[in-house]
Amino acid sequence: MQTTELLNSYFAETAGWDEMYTDNNVRQQYRCVLDLLERMTIEELNRKEELAKKMFMSQGITFTVYNSGEGIEKIFPFDIIPRIITASEWNYIETGIRQRLKALNLFLKDVYNSQFILKDGVVPTEIVYSCPHFLREMIGFPVPHDIYVHVAGIDLIRDQDGTFYILEDNLRTPSGVSYMLENREITKRLFPDLIPRNNVRTVTEYPDILHRNLVALSPRQTASPTIVLLTPGIYNSAYFEHTTLARLMGVELVEGRDLVVDNHRVYMRTTAGLQQVDVIYRRVDDEFLDPLVFRPDSILGVAGIMSAYRKGNVAIVNAAGNGVADDKAIYAYVPAMIRYYLNEEPILKNVPTYQLDNRDHREYVFANMNSMVVKRTNGSGGYGMLMGHSASAEEIDRFRAEIIKDPRQYIAQPIINLSSAPCYMHGRLRPRRIDLRPYALCGPGGIQIVPGGLTRVALREGSLVVNSSQGGGSKDTWVLAS
Amino acid sequence: MLSRVADSLYWMSRYMERTDGILRMLRINYASSQDDIQDFSWRPVLRIFSYLNDEQAAAISNRSREVLQYMVTDRENANSVLNIVTRARENARSVQDHITKELWQCLNEFYHTVRDGNLVRGLHEDDPVSILDVLIRQGLLYYGVTDVTMARGEGYAFINIGKFLERGVQSADILDIKFSELDTARMDTTYWKYLLLSISGYELYLKTYRSGFDARNVLELVVLNQDFPRSVLYSVKQLQNYFERLNTDHNREAWQKLNFLIGRFHSRIKYSTVDSILQEGIHTYLKGVRQDLFEMGNAFNQHYFAYS
Repeated sequence: MQTTELLNSYFAETAGWDEMYTDNNVRQQYRCVLDLLERMTIEELNRKEELAKKMFMSQGITFTVYNSGEGIEKIFPFDIIPRIITASEWNYIETGIRQRLKALNLFLKDVYNSQFILKDGVVPTEIVYSCPHFLREMIGFPVPHDIYVHVAGIDLIRDQDGTFYILEDNLRTPSGVSYMLENREITKRLFPDLIPRNNVRTVTEYPDILHRNLVALSPRQTASPTIVLLTPGIYNSAYFEHTTLARLMGVELVEGRDLVVDNHRVYMRTTAGLQQVDVIYRRVDDEFLDPLVFRPDSILGVAGIMSAYRKGNVAIVNAAGNGVADDKAIYAYVPAMIRYYLNEEPILKNVPTYQLDNRDHREYVFANMNSMVVKRTNGSGGYGMLMGHSASAEEIDRFRAEIIKDPRQYIAQPIINLSSAPCYMHGRLRPRRIDLRPYALCGPGGIQIVPGGLTRVALREGSLVVNSSQGGGSKDTWVLAS
Repeated sequence: MLSRVADSLYWMSRYMERTDGILRMLRINYASSQDDIQDFSWRPVLRIFSYLNDEQAAAISNRSREVLQYMVTDRENANSVLNIVTRARENARSVQDHITKELWQCLNEFYHTVRDGNLVRGLHEDDPVSILDVLIRQGLLYYGVTDVTMARGEGYAFINIGKFLERGVQSADILDIKFSELDTARMDTTYWKYLLLSISGYELYLKTYRSGFDARNVLELVVLNQDFPRSVLYSVKQLQNYFERLNTDHNREAWQKLNFLIGRFHSRIKYSTVDSILQEGIHTYLKGVRQDLFEMGNAFNQHYFAYS
C-alpha cells in the first residue's frame, strides 16, 4: 500500500539517467534504503524530515540572510534520502580526479614559471594572460612543495547514459565540505543502524588529513606550528563551515584584523602579545587577501601578507593565483594538459565547451542557443548564466549582445540532462537532478580524496541548476565499501 | 588566545549575566505587581535596565504587560532580552572554536526561544511568569553547560571575569536605585522582600537576620556578605580569583596594571562596614563602586582586548 504511495509515479517521472531506478528495477545499491523507507509510514518520514530541520537549526548550521537590518537564519535545504555511489563508480571517479588534479597542479607550476605549455602552443597565451585571476605576483615564486592546489572541490555530473563529466574545477576556496560532514551526522540520527548495514565508507577523517597537510607546510621547523583559518567573518555565508573546520582541526579561527605583518612575518594579536603564524588556510579570495597588492579597499585581508608569503615565512593554502586554472575558458584545455604533462588519456571527460572568442564556435553557438548553456568564465554560484532551453527570446538576445561585446568572458556548453535521484517530497519520492562535489586534499604525501562529497540537488521540478542560490539543496552522499 | 576571542568571550558572558539579572527582576516585580495593585511602579526596574528617560518611563511604568513586552521582546530597546541574547549569540558565534559545541547549541537555542512568536504572544495573553520561567531556565542551562563542559583555560577565565564584573555592576545599580526610590515608594517589608527575592537573596537574609526587614541589613547583605553569590564582595573575590589565572610570563605589564586596580577595589569593599558606607553616603559609595568597575572594564579593553 505504502509502496505504491511512496513510489507512486516515480518511474514515470524519471527522464534520462536515474541513480535509483533502471528499467523498472531498483538498482542494487538502493535496495536496502528503499526497503526501510517502504516500511515506514508517511507520518514517520515527515517526522524525520522535521527532525532534520530542527537539528540543523539548533546546531546553528545556518547562514544568515540580512534583511532590513535584521538577520534571518536560513538552513541549506536537506533531503533525507542519501545519494549512493557504488564502489566501482567511486574507484573510477577517484582515479579520474587524481589524474586531473595532478595535471592542474603541474599547469599552475608551469604557467607561473617556465610556461612550457604556452611556448609549445598547447594552451593559447592570450587566454592565460586575459584571465583576471592570473596573478603576476605569483610569477617565479617557488611555492612550498610545488603544491598550488591543497584543497579542491571538483564538480561532477552525469548525463543521460550515466557517463560522468567534469563540470568545474574549484581550485580557489571551494566550500561545502562542512555539509558533507554534517549531512552524515544528521543521517546517523535519522536512520539508526542504516549506515553500518550498508557498508558506507566514513568521511570523518577529512579534517585530520587537512590538518596533517597544513602542519607539513610549516616553513618553520617546529614541533607545533601555528596554523590558522582565515575567515572573512561572521557575515560570510560560509562562516559556519569555517568555525566547523577550525573546531575539528583544533586550529585558531582568525579574521584579517587579528593578523599583522611585521618584517615579512605574519603574527596574530593575542592576549599574551604577538604570536607568529606559520600556515594560513584562508577562505578569503585572492583579491581581498592583501590591500597592498590587490584591492586597496579590502578590510578582510592583511596588509603585507603577500610579501611574507613570497619570502617563504608563511604558507598560504590554497596558493594565490589558482583562479587561472579553474577559469571556465581554460577548462576546455584541461584534457590537453593531461596529455601534455602526464602523457595519459583523460579518464574523466570534459563537457564539450565552445570558446566564444573563436568565430566558428561562436557562430555555431548562436545558431543553437536553445540547446546551450552560456556561462561567464569567471562567474560562479549559478549567477550570470543562461539556460538556453528555458530562456525567453529577450534574454537570449541580451546574452548575444553581451557576448559580442566581450566574447572572452563567455563560454557555451550543450545542456546536459543531469542524472536524477529520489527526493522525499510531501509523502512521495520524486526524481530531482543532482551533481556531485568530492573534496580532494593534496599534501606533500600525495593526493587523498575522502570517499564522499557534497551532492547538490535541484529541488525545483525540472530544474537543472543545483546552486543553493537558485533553489538547490543537498543530500548525504554515500560511497559504498563493497 | 586571540585578543578578539577574549573580547568576545568576555562580552558573551556579560550579556548572559545581564540577561539573567533582567529576567529575575522582571519575574519578581511582576509577582509583586499582582500583590500590590494600588500604585505599583516599574520605574526602578526601568531605571536600572533601560535607557528610557523619566518621561518615557513614566508613560509605561504602571502597565506591567507593556513593560514586560518592552524589556523582553522589543527590538528597539537595546537592552531587551531579545537584543542582549542576540548579541551574546553573535559573540559566541564568532568564537565557536573556543567554546564547546554544547555551549554554542545552548546559546543558539536560547536565541531561537526568545525569537519564537508564540512566546511573545504568551507575554501578552497568558501567564507571563511561565514564559519568564522558560527563559530563566534557558539561562540556568547556560551556566550549567559552561560549568560542566568548558575547559578551565584562559577562555574560561575571561568568561568568569565578564560574569562577575557584570554582576558587581548590577548589584551596585540595583541597590543604588532601590535606595534612591525610598523616599517616593512606600517603604515597608514588601519593598525589601521583593528586592531580595529578585536577586535570590531572600532566604539567605532570613537565615542571617532574624529581626525583620531593615535597610541596613539589606545593604550589608548585598554589598558585604561573603557567602551571597550576588554581593559586591563575592563578585570581586571571584573576579580576582579568575584574574589570577591570567598571570603568566607574557604580557606582565598589563597584568600588573589590572592587578593593581582589582586589588585596590577588593580592599575598598573588604574594609568597608555598614557604618562607613552610611557615613560616606550610600549613593556616593555605590557610585564609587560603579566607577571602579567601569575603570577595570576599560583597562581590560585597553590591555587585553585591543586588536584594531
